[in-house]
Amino acid sequence: MKPHQEQFLAIQSMLAAGHRCVHLERHSLLLIGGVGGFLSVVTEWFITDTRFPNTDQRGIALLVWLAFWLGGMALVEHWMTRRARTRRAETLPFAQAQVTRAWWMLLSVGCLGSCAMFFYGGGGMIYALWTVLLGLGIYFYGLFSRPLIEWIGLAAILLGVAGLAAGLPYGATRWLNASCFAIGMPLAGWLNARFGDSGLPGRVAVLALWLAVVATPPLLIARYATTTVPSATPVYSVATVGLGEQVLRLEAGSRVPLRVDLDSPILTVAPDAGLDLTLTRPVEVALRDGRPDGRYRIGTGAWHTIHDGILQLRIDRIQPRLADGRAEVLTHASLDGAEFKGDTP
Amino acid sequence: MTATLPPLDPLLHQPARTQLVAYLSGRGEATFSELKRVLGVTDGNLGAHLGKLVEAGYLATGEATGGARAQTVYSLTESGRAALAEYVARLSALMALSAGGEPASETSLAADGQS
Repeated sequence: MKPHQEQFLAIQSMLAAGHRCVHLERHSLLLIGGVGGFLSVVTEWFITDTRFPNTDQRGIALLVWLAFWLGGMALVEHWMTRRARTRRAETLPFAQAQVTRAWWMLLSVGCLGSCAMFFYGGGGMIYALWTVLLGLGIYFYGLFSRPLIEWIGLAAILLGVAGLAAGLPYGATRWLNASCFAIGMPLAGWLNARFGDSGLPGRVAVLALWLAVVATPPLLIARYATTTVPSATPVYSVATVGLGEQVLRLEAGSRVPLRVDLDSPILTVAPDAGLDLTLTRPVEVALRDGRPDGRYRIGTGAWHTIHDGILQLRIDRIQPRLADGRAEVLTHASLDGAEFKGDTP
Repeated sequence: MTATLPPLDPLLHQPARTQLVAYLSGRGEATFSELKRVLGVTDGNLGAHLGKLVEAGYLATGEATGGARAQTVYSLTESGRAALAEYVARLSALMALSAGGEPASETSLAADGQS
């Protein structure tokens, strides 16, 4: 290579280095990963419907809970980053200050979105949304930092979207989100410190390793996690239900009325109003001291808990219309799960 | 036919100084320690290069705030930015001449690069 070409490449390289002067510090990734993973796992144990029976209260409690942890994490992370820069006798680049603001904005959107799902729905995809937000934040950093960080951000976005597109149940998306935070971020910091300057083949290998390490644990948990199977012998009548652990078996053809409890300024519902529903498949429900404890199974399938998101209720259409000279509202809903399609009763 | 080579700025036509100015062009401002780490040069060497660029008006100095001890920060002035742009343009022209098969003499490059 001729000297002026070398000089030209050196200028290009230093210009790029000057533009990519943002450092996503290892402590930042540890903090983001630790707090995010903690929140993914613990939030549903803390914000429960027994502790906060009212939905609105639960939404506000979740907002305060997330704002406390994520806001605290953001402040500590910002303080530690400034201290690290000072120790290295470096100034904080303008780009880093802007990206930090964008990152805080993403966290705020995530907190508000989590709260809003209690008022407007969409809770089934909340963990996938957080995974995508995490990926976007890391990607923003990567644009001004090393390309490996950029790639890992894109990979996290891809994981969040792919999890939804692949129809992963709610519980699996929760573990995937926890893994992206708690395993993915510290691992990204370690890989960036060791292999951040690798060429294209090296980066591809590092990214494949990151994806494998992050995606494997939640998929294994989702595959092999089992709900505790009740040991009790099934009873066939509500009248025989007593204390302790029991299983109530409802045969196909059993009538299960749907009671409607509606809060509305424009409609009222009679207390005994109900919709006659009939089971098309037998269902077993686990009881604890005469009350359903959330475990169920359909037919002879596997036992699940009501919160694992296997069974999904979707109300996708509400249509006012006139029929037989009366105004009525037709609501279309579906209650199913991929696991139950084709299941024989 | 012989093409006339554009003259290159002798102050910038030195590898360490070109890289220093290019880095500051992207980074905005940087401390002595950061520049030393990025360029991989000694304190004395960097100090000499910075002195020449400041003297020529290509770099401005300031003081970083926020840390426990004050740090001098260096940034590119308008004249330094214009000089870099001019230098890159002339280097590109030189490369184009060279790539076009013109008898571009590189002796001036080698000679100027030893300051």
